[in-house]
Amino acid sequence: MGNLKLSFFLAYKSIIKGNRWTLSMIILVMSLSFANLILIPSLLSGVTEAINGQQIDTVYANIVISPNPDKTYLNHVSQIENKLSQQSGVIGVAAHLNSGAFFEYNWLQKTSPQDKSQTGNWNVIGIDPEQEIQVTTLHSSLIAGSYLETGDRDKIVLGIEIAGGEDASTLSSLTLGGAKVGDRVRLTFSNSVQREYTLKGIFKARSLSANTLAFISRNEMASVLNTVTEVSVFADRASQLLVRTEKGVDETQLISDIKNLGIDGQVRSWRDYGETMGGVVSSFDIMGSLIGSIGLLVAAIVMFIVIYINVVHKKRQIGILRAIGINRSVIYGSYLIQSFLFAILGIVIGGLFFGYGLMPYFKSYPIDLSIGLVSLVIDPVNVRNSIGGILVAAVLAGIIPVVNIVRQSIIKAIWGN
Amino acid sequence: MNIIRINNLQKVYGQGLTATYALKGITLDIQQGEFVAIMGRSGSGKSTLLHLLGLLDLPTAGEIFIEDRNVLKLSGEESAAFRLKELGYVFQEYSLIAELTILENVYLPALCLHKDKQYRNRAIELLEIVGLQDRMNHYPNEVSGGEQQRASIARSLVNQPKILFADEPTANLDGASAEVVLELFRKLNQDLKQTIVMVTHEPEDKKYVDRVVWLKDGLIENLA
Ligand SMILES: Nc1ncnc2c1ncn2[C@@H]1O[C@H](COP(=O)(O)OP(=O)(O)O)[C@@H](O)[C@H]1O
Ligand SMILES: [Mg+2]
Repeated sequence: MGNLKLSFFLAYKSIIKGNRWTLSMIILVMSLSFANLILIPSLLSGVTEAINGQQIDTVYANIVISPNPDKTYLNHVSQIENKLSQQSGVIGVAAHLNSGAFFEYNWLQKTSPQDKSQTGNWNVIGIDPEQEIQVTTLHSSLIAGSYLETGDRDKIVLGIEIAGGEDASTLSSLTLGGAKVGDRVRLTFSNSVQREYTLKGIFKARSLSANTLAFISRNEMASVLNTVTEVSVFADRASQLLVRTEKGVDETQLISDIKNLGIDGQVRSWRDYGETMGGVVSSFDIMGSLIGSIGLLVAAIVMFIVIYINVVHKKRQIGILRAIGINRSVIYGSYLIQSFLFAILGIVIGGLFFGYGLMPYFKSYPIDLSIGLVSLVIDPVNVRNSIGGILVAAVLAGIIPVVNIVRQSIIKAIWGN
Repeated sequence: MNIIRINNLQKVYGQGLTATYALKGITLDIQQGEFVAIMGRSGSGKSTLLHLLGLLDLPTAGEIFIEDRNVLKLSGEESAAFRLKELGYVFQEYSLIAELTILENVYLPALCLHKDKQYRNRAIELLEIVGLQDRMNHYPNEVSGGEQQRASIARSLVNQPKILFADEPTANLDGASAEVVLELFRKLNQDLKQTIVMVTHEPEDKKYVDRVVWLKDGLIENLA
């Protein structure tokens, strides 16, 4: 029998005939260590994905088409829309026509023109309500009133951080200070056109950046912008086109397909815009790998202790094996194989526990954080690192105590003095 | 022919104030085929001598030749291989591997020599010789202390060692089991010309052996 085969034989017998409790404990520790190792990073990935999901759902959709740098608007929008909606994987396209505006609330009560309270500058987006509800989800985040409908002209829908009031998290002085549905707000657009709107609805999404948006209908925005040019060119113009894609669509592929349509504009992933979030996300990654390393260290120490106790228990036996002339490599091999097997079992059981226990649990009962509903998202790189980490830790934990014992004299190992 | 020659063997445990001079200069020859008992009071250095002869420990000074080979010059690896092939051990108690059956315990040293097939048969033969053929598939904790010692003897013989060492192999056995073990040694010595060096402190064991080496305070006591 070769030395390796002999190691396998000893390891096998030792596991089969060894103490069941010790074995169960070791494997339990391995399993929990592994599950713990992938839990935290998966949770952080879950947070990242929730944040990204909010960005997609409320602000950018999946793909954003914007005018080339030398232009302010996309032209021939309905033509582009047609082309886009024929692409497979596209659920909806929404055209946005934007303009900055100065907002005023309760302006009639003011006594001095210097009084800047209950005003502010925000961006206004002109939308086609029917298109928009296919693409973003803000319509389902209303906390008061209702969403815009096709044909609405003097209606406006505001994010909670513009309207203000108790539900807003921004300083009250930076909002309109509590505008209610049915109230009038006056907007002075950047082209100096001034119009009044009735507040039709207020939404509060989980994304702060979405909550500082204001919506009027695209027809209305076109007419605001048209007043200067007289000709109705704005009806077929847009500041941006948002494209919502089906789940699981290869985004990069779709983007390059769209680029090939020959649209006069820039086609980009939402990721290029979610940049501010990118910072948060990468600091989560750093946090994740930090917590991961600590988790691995703790797992390694726990495994080390458990395996160490197991091996120390076998000290006399190791001494006897050496006394009768069994090659050291056979002894090392048998303990290495055992530790390796413990680690593999731990990874499999811990992985099953994670995949069939924790994942479905968090799917059914996601954690409700302010940024969104967070469940676990598996990151393959992290899983791979965790598997490697557990294996290395287990092998070290298995071999170091054996090397220690084999280094001692045989007499010491057997008779303990 | 001398199978073992030792010359001025000394062993000191520890150093300085706590140093123990366990062996103070032993010179001794053991013949091929001899059955030698090492006797003496507790603490006289019997185990120490046996450990040194069995290459389980290194002396502080002196020489050991086994079949004219200076075995103290062997490296760790070489020494292990030498123990595996040429030396057999029977310890006082509990020296079987708990997770292996009696049979597996007996042929384990043979597995290390990569000669599985013939040695498995030899292991079974040896178990027959020691009277354990019915117990060979039991685990050590399922048989008596005497049976465990007999299994250890079978294990020590599986690689056909030149010398068999035993350190008080009957100390923890009842009278009847002890007798079985000692008879076994005598039989091995007489029928197979097995060289045996056995430590004992039972004066009655004298009747089984060819020669007694008396130790006192780390020196050979000349009773002539
Ligand atoms: N590992 C050791 N460390 C220190 N002293 C030891 C050690 N082993 C044995 N001794 C001492 O060496 C002397 C001889 O011990 P030992 O050979 O075991 O005697 P015996 O087997 O005859 O009872 C004793 O005084 C014992 O205390
Ligand atoms: Mg002794």
